[in-house]
Amino acid sequence: MFVYEKKLQYPVRIQNVNPQLAAIVISQYGGPDGELGASLRYLSQRYSMPYDALKGLLTDIGTEELGHLEMVGSIVHQLTRTLTEEQMKEQGFAPYFVDHTAGVYPQAASGTPWSAATMAVTGDPMADLVEDMAADATTM
Amino acid sequence: MNHQTDQAENGVMTLPQCANADGQLPSCAPLANPYVPFQQTGADLYTASCALIRGTLFPGLDLPYGGQENTQEKLATASVELQQMGFALQELALYLDTHAEDTEAAQLFNQYVELYQQAIEQYQQGNGPLTLMDAAANGTYDWLAGPWPWEYRKER
Repeated sequence: MFVYEKKLQYPVRIQNVNPQLAAIVISQYGGPDGELGASLRYLSQRYSMPYDALKGLLTDIGTEELGHLEMVGSIVHQLTRTLTEEQMKEQGFAPYFVDHTAGVYPQAASGTPWSAATMAVTGDPMADLVEDMAADATTM
Repeated sequence: MNHQTDQAENGVMTLPQCANADGQLPSCAPLANPYVPFQQTGADLYTASCALIRGTLFPGLDLPYGGQENTQEKLATASVELQQMGFALQELALYLDTHAEDTEAAQLFNQYVELYQQAIEQYQQGNGPLTLMDAAANGTYDWLAGPWPWEYRKER
């Protein structure tokens, strides 16, 4: 069960709209190594984890990743919150805008929608932990 | 045929003799066993305000990407105070998940729980309810009042 706290983990306050940047940052929301994948990876791998310490760790990290997802979503939202037609066209945001307008959709910067094919749940604790290290190494 | 002895005879390098199932680096470590160093107990900690800026409570884990460091101090608002205490609490919880026997860290965790609860009380006086539990604490249902967390606000 999850309880929502109506706050961000870290303040997001973006003064200037920048659709060009939003089109890149969206990958951290729903790209192959984004926060959605991180959260679902940890929260799904915990069912086959035999050790209590790591059941707890996967639960707590997977939950924190949902907080990261919310921060990245906030960044994309604020970068596109007041968008003129010129800004949208000139800054390469039209391919995103045509399907999603100013909504925040879980996709990679390439336009590929988020897919569970970008993560692994093998049921083998060692294989899963090694996959976690590979996934997190992309953001370190 | 002993490869290592050959090398020593040629004067190239001298390596310790290990069992067949062992390798080098570190010396005579078992083959095919990758490992990640385990975080030690009793290491130095940042303050909660510093931790939020650095992105970690643990100086030993403070490894800025590409040397880019966040040094932007936050204003002392109720919202930032809440984020600082919440982050310190979160960091200690993840540490305690794998170091549950560290009683000093558990005590510090309890201190931050208390500070977090105080920060929630302060925050809710000016910003409305943090969780559904407190949504109607004032007698009316105040959960819906904005701004919501993702919405832009001018003030810091």
